[in-house]
Amino acid sequence: MTDDIRVLSEALAIDPASTVFVQLGELLRQRGDLDLAYRIAVRGLERHQQRADAHDLVARIASDRGDLERAKAEWEAVLILSPGHAAAHKGLGFLCYRNGDRETAGKHFDRALAADPSDATLATALRTVRGEPGTGRSARVPTPPIGAPHAAPPHAAPPLAAIRPADPRTLFADVLGGAARTVLLLDGDGYVVAGAHAADGSEDRSALIGAQLSGVSEEADRAMRHLGLGRWSQIVFEAESASVAMAPARSGVVLVAAPRSVPLGLVRRILEQALERARRWLEHGA
Amino acid sequence: MTSPFATLLFTLVRHRGVKGCMVVDERDGVIVDANLQLGVDGAAMAALAASVYRKARRAATAAGFGEIAFFELDAEHGRVCAAGRGGLVVVLVAENRVNLGLVRVEMLRALEAFA
Repeated sequence: MTDDIRVLSEALAIDPASTVFVQLGELLRQRGDLDLAYRIAVRGLERHQQRADAHDLVARIASDRGDLERAKAEWEAVLILSPGHAAAHKGLGFLCYRNGDRETAGKHFDRALAADPSDATLATALRTVRGEPGTGRSARVPTPPIGAPHAAPPHAAPPLAAIRPADPRTLFADVLGGAARTVLLLDGDGYVVAGAHAADGSEDRSALIGAQLSGVSEEADRAMRHLGLGRWSQIVFEAESASVAMAPARSGVVLVAAPRSVPLGLVRRILEQALERARRWLEHGA
Repeated sequence: MTSPFATLLFTLVRHRGVKGCMVVDERDGVIVDANLQLGVDGAAMAALAASVYRKARRAATAAGFGEIAFFELDAEHGRVCAAGRGGLVVVLVAENRVNLGLVRVEMLRALEAFA
Protein backbone atom coordinates (compact mmCIF):
# COMPACT_ATOMS: atom_id res chain seq x y z
CA MET A 1 0.00 0.00 0.00
CA THR A 2 2.85 2.37 0.84
CA ASP A 3 4.30 1.90 -2.63
CA ASP A 4 0.95 2.64 -4.20
CA ILE A 5 0.58 5.78 -2.12
CA ARG A 6 4.01 6.97 -3.20
CA VAL A 7 3.31 6.33 -6.87
CA LEU A 8 -0.07 8.02 -6.70
CA SER A 9 1.38 10.97 -4.83
CA GLU A 10 3.98 11.38 -7.54
CA ALA A 11 1.35 11.15 -10.24
CA LEU A 12 -0.70 13.81 -8.48
CA ALA A 13 2.34 16.02 -8.07
CA ILE A 14 3.03 15.71 -11.80
CA ASP A 15 -0.55 16.52 -12.70
CA PRO A 16 -2.50 18.24 -9.90
CA ALA A 17 -5.62 18.24 -12.08
CA SER A 18 -5.51 14.46 -12.30
CA THR A 19 -8.31 12.40 -10.78
CA VAL A 20 -5.77 10.11 -9.14
CA PHE A 21 -6.64 11.87 -5.87
CA VAL A 22 -9.65 9.55 -5.55
CA GLN A 23 -7.46 6.45 -5.31
CA LEU A 24 -4.85 8.23 -3.23
CA GLY A 25 -7.42 9.57 -0.77
CA GLU A 26 -9.00 6.15 -0.43
CA LEU A 27 -5.66 4.44 0.25
CA LEU A 28 -4.79 7.06 2.85
CA ARG A 29 -8.22 6.61 4.42
CA GLN A 30 -7.73 2.85 4.57
CA ARG A 31 -4.34 3.42 6.17
CA GLY A 32 -6.00 5.61 8.81
CA ASP A 33 -4.28 8.80 7.69
CA LEU A 34 -7.57 10.66 7.79
CA ASP A 35 -6.34 14.25 7.98
CA LEU A 36 -4.12 13.93 4.93
CA ALA A 37 -6.77 11.91 3.11
CA TYR A 38 -9.31 14.63 3.84
CA ARG A 39 -7.05 17.44 2.61
CA ILE A 40 -6.30 15.62 -0.63
CA ALA A 41 -9.94 14.66 -1.17
CA VAL A 42 -11.26 18.17 -0.54
CA ARG A 43 -8.60 19.73 -2.77
CA GLY A 44 -9.45 17.24 -5.50
CA LEU A 45 -13.14 17.86 -5.11
CA GLU A 46 -12.59 21.58 -5.61
CA ARG A 47 -11.26 20.79 -9.08
CA HIS A 48 -13.76 18.05 -9.87
CA GLN A 49 -17.08 19.18 -8.45
CA GLN A 50 -19.04 17.11 -10.96
CA ARG A 51 -17.47 13.78 -10.03
CA ALA A 52 -19.69 11.62 -7.87
CA ASP A 53 -16.74 9.51 -6.73
CA ALA A 54 -14.98 12.62 -5.43
CA HIS A 55 -17.99 13.57 -3.31
CA ASP A 56 -18.29 9.95 -2.19
CA LEU A 57 -14.65 9.90 -1.11
CA VAL A 58 -15.04 13.11 0.92
CA ALA A 59 -18.19 11.67 2.49
CA ARG A 60 -16.48 8.45 3.56
CA ILE A 61 -13.50 10.26 5.04
CA ALA A 62 -15.80 12.75 6.79
CA SER A 63 -17.76 9.81 8.21
CA ASP A 64 -14.57 8.23 9.49
CA ARG A 65 -13.60 11.55 11.07
CA GLY A 66 -16.96 11.78 12.80
CA ASP A 67 -18.08 14.74 10.72
CA LEU A 68 -21.47 13.22 9.93
CA GLU A 69 -23.04 16.44 8.67
CA ARG A 70 -20.40 16.82 6.00
CA ALA A 71 -20.71 13.15 5.14
CA LYS A 72 -24.46 13.50 4.74
CA ALA A 73 -24.11 16.59 2.55
CA GLU A 74 -21.56 14.90 0.31
CA TRP A 75 -23.56 11.71 -0.13
CA GLU A 76 -26.61 13.81 -0.96
CA ALA A 77 -24.47 15.58 -3.56
CA VAL A 78 -23.52 12.18 -4.97
CA LEU A 79 -27.18 11.31 -5.40
CA ILE A 80 -27.81 14.54 -7.27
CA LEU A 81 -24.98 13.74 -9.67
CA SER A 82 -25.67 10.03 -9.87
CA PRO A 83 -29.19 9.13 -8.71
CA GLY A 84 -29.34 5.65 -7.22
CA HIS A 85 -25.59 5.54 -6.45
CA ALA A 86 -25.21 2.44 -4.28
CA ALA A 87 -22.42 3.70 -2.03
CA ALA A 88 -24.21 6.98 -1.35
CA HIS A 89 -27.43 5.22 -0.38
CA LYS A 90 -25.45 2.84 1.76
CA GLY A 91 -23.68 5.70 3.51
CA LEU A 92 -26.88 7.65 4.07
CA GLY A 93 -28.57 4.51 5.33
CA PHE A 94 -25.78 4.10 7.81
CA LEU A 95 -26.14 7.70 8.98
CA CYS A 96 -29.92 7.34 9.36
CA TYR A 97 -29.43 4.15 11.32
CA ARG A 98 -27.00 5.90 13.63
CA ASN A 99 -29.60 8.61 14.19
CA GLY A 100 -32.21 6.01 15.05
CA ASP A 101 -34.22 6.52 11.85
CA ARG A 102 -34.53 2.86 10.87
CA GLU A 103 -37.31 3.43 8.37
CA THR A 104 -35.31 5.85 6.21
CA ALA A 105 -32.22 3.73 6.70
CA GLY A 106 -34.12 0.76 5.33
CA LYS A 107 -35.20 2.74 2.27
CA HIS A 108 -31.62 3.74 1.56
CA PHE A 109 -30.37 0.18 1.99
CA ASP A 110 -33.15 -1.03 -0.30
CA ARG A 111 -32.05 1.37 -3.03
CA ALA A 112 -28.41 0.53 -2.48
CA LEU A 113 -29.18 -3.17 -2.79
CA ALA A 114 -31.16 -2.56 -5.96
CA ALA A 115 -28.14 -0.79 -7.45
CA ASP A 116 -25.60 -3.30 -6.16
CA PRO A 117 -27.19 -6.71 -5.47
CA SER A 118 -23.75 -8.29 -5.05
CA ASP A 119 -23.09 -6.40 -1.80
CA ALA A 120 -23.93 -9.00 0.83
CA THR A 121 -23.50 -6.50 3.66
CA LEU A 122 -26.57 -4.63 2.45
CA ALA A 123 -28.84 -7.61 2.88
CA THR A 124 -27.53 -7.99 6.41
CA ALA A 125 -28.05 -4.29 7.06
CA LEU A 126 -31.63 -4.51 5.78
CA ARG A 127 -32.44 -7.47 8.00
CA THR A 128 -30.94 -5.60 10.95
CA VAL A 129 -32.86 -2.35 10.47
CA ARG A 130 -36.08 -4.31 9.96
CA GLY A 131 -35.41 -6.36 13.05
CA GLU A 132 -35.86 -9.63 11.20
CA PRO A 133 -35.20 -12.87 13.09
CA GLY A 134 -31.66 -14.08 13.22
CA THR A 135 -30.05 -10.67 13.31
CA GLY A 136 -30.39 -10.15 17.08
CA ARG A 137 -30.07 -6.97 19.04
CA SER A 138 -26.32 -6.94 18.78
CA ALA A 139 -26.31 -7.13 15.01
CA ARG A 140 -24.54 -4.17 13.49
CA VAL A 141 -25.27 -2.32 10.32
CA PRO A 142 -22.14 -2.48 8.18
CA THR A 143 -20.34 0.81 7.95
CA PRO A 144 -20.34 2.56 4.56
CA PRO A 145 -16.65 2.28 3.67
CA ILE A 146 -16.95 -1.48 3.12
CA GLY A 147 -16.96 -2.01 -0.58
CA ALA A 148 -18.08 1.53 -1.16
CA PRO A 149 -15.30 3.12 -3.21
CA HIS A 150 -16.05 1.48 -6.52
CA ALA A 151 -19.69 0.64 -6.16
CA ALA A 152 -21.34 0.69 -9.55
CA PRO A 153 -23.78 3.49 -10.34
CA PRO A 154 -27.27 2.38 -11.33
CA HIS A 155 -26.80 3.07 -15.01
CA ALA A 156 -23.89 0.61 -15.15
CA ALA A 157 -24.31 -3.00 -16.22
CA PRO A 158 -25.74 -5.23 -13.51
CA PRO A 159 -23.12 -6.81 -11.23
CA LEU A 160 -21.97 -10.18 -12.43
CA ALA A 161 -22.72 -11.92 -9.15
CA ALA A 162 -26.40 -11.03 -9.57
CA ILE A 163 -26.77 -13.54 -12.38
CA ARG A 164 -27.29 -17.08 -11.14
CA PRO A 165 -26.59 -19.91 -13.58
CA ALA A 166 -27.53 -23.55 -13.04
CA ASP A 167 -23.90 -24.64 -12.77
CA PRO A 168 -21.59 -21.71 -13.39
CA ARG A 169 -18.47 -23.82 -12.91
CA THR A 170 -19.06 -25.55 -16.21
CA LEU A 171 -19.52 -22.39 -18.24
CA PHE A 172 -16.08 -22.65 -19.87
CA ALA A 173 -15.77 -26.45 -19.82
CA ASP A 174 -15.29 -26.81 -23.56
CA VAL A 175 -13.14 -23.68 -23.76
CA LEU A 176 -10.83 -25.16 -21.15
CA GLY A 177 -10.13 -28.08 -23.51
CA GLY A 178 -6.67 -29.51 -23.19
CA ALA A 179 -4.79 -26.24 -23.17
CA ALA A 180 -5.99 -23.83 -20.51
CA ARG A 181 -6.00 -24.91 -16.88
CA THR A 182 -8.06 -22.05 -15.58
CA VAL A 183 -10.84 -19.96 -17.08
CA LEU A 184 -12.71 -17.75 -14.67
CA LEU A 185 -15.30 -15.01 -14.78
CA LEU A 186 -14.69 -12.66 -11.86
CA ASP A 187 -16.90 -9.89 -10.57
CA GLY A 188 -15.66 -6.41 -9.72
CA ASP A 189 -14.61 -7.52 -6.25
CA GLY A 190 -12.54 -10.45 -7.48
CA TYR A 191 -15.09 -13.12 -6.57
CA VAL A 192 -15.45 -16.05 -8.92
CA VAL A 193 -18.80 -15.88 -10.71
CA ALA A 194 -18.29 -18.72 -13.16
CA GLY A 195 -15.62 -21.05 -14.46
CA ALA A 196 -13.15 -23.25 -12.71
CA HIS A 197 -9.54 -24.14 -12.17
CA ALA A 198 -8.87 -27.54 -13.82
CA ALA A 199 -7.18 -28.99 -10.83
CA ASP A 200 -5.73 -32.34 -11.93
CA GLY A 201 -6.22 -33.65 -8.41
CA SER A 202 -4.63 -30.62 -6.79
CA GLU A 203 -6.63 -28.14 -4.74
CA ASP A 204 -8.96 -25.73 -6.52
CA ARG A 205 -7.25 -22.37 -6.42
CA SER A 206 -9.96 -20.46 -8.33
CA ALA A 207 -10.81 -18.16 -5.45
CA LEU A 208 -7.18 -17.40 -4.68
CA ILE A 209 -6.33 -16.75 -8.33
CA GLY A 210 -9.40 -14.58 -8.78
CA ALA A 211 -8.80 -12.56 -5.67
CA GLN A 212 -5.14 -11.93 -6.42
CA LEU A 213 -5.38 -11.17 -10.10
CA SER A 214 -8.50 -9.03 -10.11
CA GLY A 215 -6.41 -6.32 -8.46
CA VAL A 216 -4.32 -6.10 -11.62
CA SER A 217 -7.34 -4.99 -13.62
CA GLU A 218 -8.11 -2.29 -11.08
CA GLU A 219 -4.55 -1.04 -11.34
CA ALA A 220 -4.83 -1.09 -15.13
CA ASP A 221 -8.08 0.90 -14.96
CA ARG A 222 -6.34 3.51 -12.88
CA ALA A 223 -3.32 3.71 -15.13
CA MET A 224 -5.42 3.98 -18.28
CA ARG A 225 -7.38 6.88 -16.85
CA HIS A 226 -4.20 8.86 -16.44
CA LEU A 227 -2.30 7.82 -19.51
CA GLY A 228 -4.96 8.75 -22.03
CA LEU A 229 -4.78 5.39 -23.76
CA GLY A 230 -8.52 4.76 -23.52
CA ARG A 231 -10.00 1.66 -21.97
CA TRP A 232 -7.83 -1.40 -21.65
CA SER A 233 -8.97 -4.41 -23.62
CA GLN A 234 -6.53 -7.11 -22.66
CA ILE A 235 -3.75 -7.85 -20.20
CA VAL A 236 -1.36 -10.70 -20.86
CA PHE A 237 1.59 -11.74 -18.78
CA GLU A 238 3.98 -14.61 -18.71
CA ALA A 239 4.88 -15.89 -15.28
CA GLU A 240 7.20 -18.75 -14.34
CA SER A 241 4.57 -21.47 -14.38
CA ALA A 242 1.73 -19.97 -16.39
CA SER A 243 0.71 -17.54 -19.06
CA VAL A 244 -2.19 -15.44 -17.91
CA ALA A 245 -4.57 -13.37 -20.03
CA MET A 246 -7.47 -11.25 -18.84
CA ALA A 247 -10.07 -8.99 -20.41
CA PRO A 248 -12.87 -6.85 -19.00
CA ALA A 249 -16.40 -8.26 -19.06
CA ARG A 250 -19.06 -5.83 -17.84
CA SER A 251 -18.06 -4.87 -14.31
CA GLY A 252 -15.77 -7.87 -13.96
CA VAL A 253 -13.00 -9.72 -15.71
CA VAL A 254 -12.52 -12.94 -17.66
CA LEU A 255 -9.24 -14.61 -16.80
CA VAL A 256 -7.42 -17.45 -18.53
CA ALA A 257 -4.33 -19.19 -17.17
CA ALA A 258 -2.46 -21.89 -19.05
CA PRO A 259 0.88 -23.65 -18.64
CA ARG A 260 3.85 -21.92 -20.23
CA SER A 261 4.02 -24.75 -22.75
CA VAL A 262 0.83 -23.37 -24.34
CA PRO A 263 1.76 -20.76 -26.98
CA LEU A 264 0.90 -17.21 -25.98
CA GLY A 265 -1.13 -16.68 -29.14
CA LEU A 266 -3.31 -19.66 -28.25
CA VAL A 267 -3.85 -18.31 -24.74
CA ARG A 268 -5.12 -15.08 -26.29
CA ARG A 269 -7.49 -16.99 -28.55
CA ILE A 270 -8.82 -18.96 -25.60
CA LEU A 271 -9.39 -15.67 -23.83
CA GLU A 272 -11.37 -14.32 -26.79
CA GLN A 273 -13.53 -17.48 -26.85
CA ALA A 274 -14.09 -17.30 -23.11
CA LEU A 275 -14.93 -13.60 -23.31
CA GLU A 276 -17.51 -14.24 -26.00
CA ARG A 277 -18.97 -17.10 -23.98
CA ALA A 278 -19.14 -14.93 -20.86
CA ARG A 279 -20.79 -12.07 -22.73
CA ARG A 280 -23.47 -14.32 -24.18
CA TRP A 281 -24.07 -15.94 -20.84
CA LEU A 282 -24.35 -12.59 -19.10
CA GLU A 283 -26.75 -11.31 -21.72
CA HIS A 284 -29.00 -14.36 -21.83
CA GLY A 285 -28.34 -15.90 -18.45
CA ALA A 286 -27.56 -19.30 -20.00
CA MET B 1 27.12 10.78 -21.10
CA THR B 2 25.72 7.52 -22.44
CA SER B 3 24.03 5.17 -19.98
CA PRO B 4 24.52 1.39 -20.16
CA PHE B 5 20.95 1.13 -21.42
CA ALA B 6 21.21 3.54 -24.36
CA THR B 7 21.88 0.86 -26.98
CA LEU B 8 19.14 -1.37 -25.61
CA LEU B 9 16.61 1.45 -25.72
CA PHE B 10 17.62 2.47 -29.22
CA THR B 11 17.18 -1.13 -30.41
CA LEU B 12 13.63 -1.22 -29.05
CA VAL B 13 12.50 2.25 -30.03
CA ARG B 14 13.42 1.86 -33.70
CA HIS B 15 10.61 -0.67 -34.22
CA ARG B 16 7.61 0.52 -36.17
CA GLY B 17 4.87 1.84 -33.90
CA VAL B 18 7.04 2.20 -30.80
CA LYS B 19 6.55 5.62 -29.21
CA GLY B 20 9.02 5.29 -26.42
CA CYS B 21 10.99 3.00 -24.24
CA MET B 22 12.30 3.41 -20.72
CA VAL B 23 14.27 1.62 -18.06
CA VAL B 24 12.42 2.26 -14.83
CA ASP B 25 13.09 1.55 -11.18
CA GLU B 26 10.27 -0.87 -10.34
CA ARG B 27 9.98 0.18 -6.73
CA ASP B 28 9.38 3.90 -7.15
CA GLY B 29 8.62 4.25 -10.86
CA VAL B 30 11.49 6.65 -11.49
CA ILE B 31 13.08 6.69 -14.94
CA VAL B 32 16.65 5.40 -15.10
CA ASP B 33 17.02 6.04 -18.82
CA ALA B 34 14.58 6.73 -21.62
CA ASN B 35 14.28 7.12 -25.35
CA LEU B 36 10.94 8.79 -26.06
CA GLN B 37 9.16 10.41 -28.95
CA LEU B 38 8.21 14.03 -28.52
CA GLY B 39 4.93 14.34 -26.66
CA VAL B 40 5.20 11.17 -24.60
CA ASP B 41 4.91 11.97 -20.90
CA GLY B 42 7.70 9.72 -19.73
CA ALA B 43 7.48 10.43 -16.01
CA ALA B 44 3.77 9.63 -15.72
CA MET B 45 4.08 6.66 -18.03
CA ALA B 46 7.01 5.29 -16.05
CA ALA B 47 5.29 5.70 -12.70
CA LEU B 48 2.01 4.17 -13.75
CA ALA B 49 3.43 1.39 -15.92
CA ALA B 50 5.81 0.37 -13.14
CA SER B 51 2.89 0.40 -10.73
CA VAL B 52 0.78 -1.92 -12.92
CA TYR B 53 3.75 -4.19 -13.55
CA ARG B 54 4.55 -4.36 -9.84
CA LYS B 55 0.94 -5.16 -9.04
CA ALA B 56 0.86 -7.93 -11.65
CA ARG B 57 4.16 -9.36 -10.43
CA ARG B 58 2.99 -9.50 -6.83
CA ALA B 59 -0.41 -10.87 -7.76
CA ALA B 60 1.10 -13.58 -9.97
CA THR B 61 3.44 -14.62 -7.20
CA ALA B 62 0.65 -14.65 -4.63
CA ALA B 63 -1.56 -16.69 -6.97
CA GLY B 64 1.18 -19.30 -7.26
CA PHE B 65 2.27 -18.56 -10.83
CA GLY B 66 5.76 -17.34 -9.92
CA GLU B 67 7.67 -14.31 -11.15
CA ILE B 68 6.60 -12.45 -14.27
CA ALA B 69 8.87 -12.40 -17.31
CA PHE B 70 6.78 -10.28 -19.65
CA PHE B 71 3.71 -8.10 -19.23
CA GLU B 72 1.51 -6.55 -21.89
CA LEU B 73 -1.47 -4.25 -21.63
CA ASP B 74 -3.59 -3.49 -24.69
CA ALA B 75 -5.79 -0.41 -24.72
CA GLU B 76 -7.92 1.49 -27.21
CA HIS B 77 -5.16 3.88 -28.17
CA GLY B 78 -1.99 1.96 -27.59
CA ARG B 79 -0.07 -0.77 -25.87
CA VAL B 80 2.19 -0.84 -22.86
CA CYS B 81 4.68 -3.68 -22.45
CA ALA B 82 6.98 -4.32 -19.53
CA ALA B 83 9.64 -6.84 -18.63
CA GLY B 84 11.65 -6.72 -15.47
CA ARG B 85 14.50 -8.20 -13.58
CA GLY B 86 16.50 -7.21 -10.53
CA GLY B 87 14.33 -4.24 -9.60
CA LEU B 88 14.51 -2.67 -13.05
CA VAL B 89 11.73 -2.75 -15.61
CA VAL B 90 11.90 -2.09 -19.32
CA VAL B 91 8.71 -0.25 -20.23
CA LEU B 92 7.70 0.16 -23.86
CA VAL B 93 4.85 2.33 -25.12
CA ALA B 94 3.57 1.67 -28.59
CA GLU B 95 0.76 2.19 -31.02
CA ASN B 96 -1.60 -0.71 -31.64
CA ARG B 97 0.08 -1.48 -34.97
CA VAL B 98 3.34 -2.52 -33.30
CA ASN B 99 4.67 -6.01 -34.02
CA LEU B 100 4.21 -7.34 -30.52
CA GLY B 101 5.88 -10.68 -31.07
CA LEU B 102 9.07 -9.02 -32.23
CA VAL B 103 9.04 -6.46 -29.46
CA ARG B 104 8.49 -9.20 -26.88
CA VAL B 105 11.52 -11.15 -28.07
CA GLU B 106 13.65 -8.02 -28.05
CA MET B 107 12.52 -7.06 -24.56
CA LEU B 108 13.19 -10.50 -23.13
CA ARG B 109 16.60 -10.41 -24.75
CA ALA B 110 17.19 -6.98 -23.28
CA LEU B 111 16.57 -8.35 -19.83
CA GLU B 112 19.68 -10.43 -20.11
CA ALA B 113 21.64 -7.20 -19.94
CA PHE B 114 20.24 -6.69 -16.44
CA ALA B 115 21.55 -10.00 -15.13
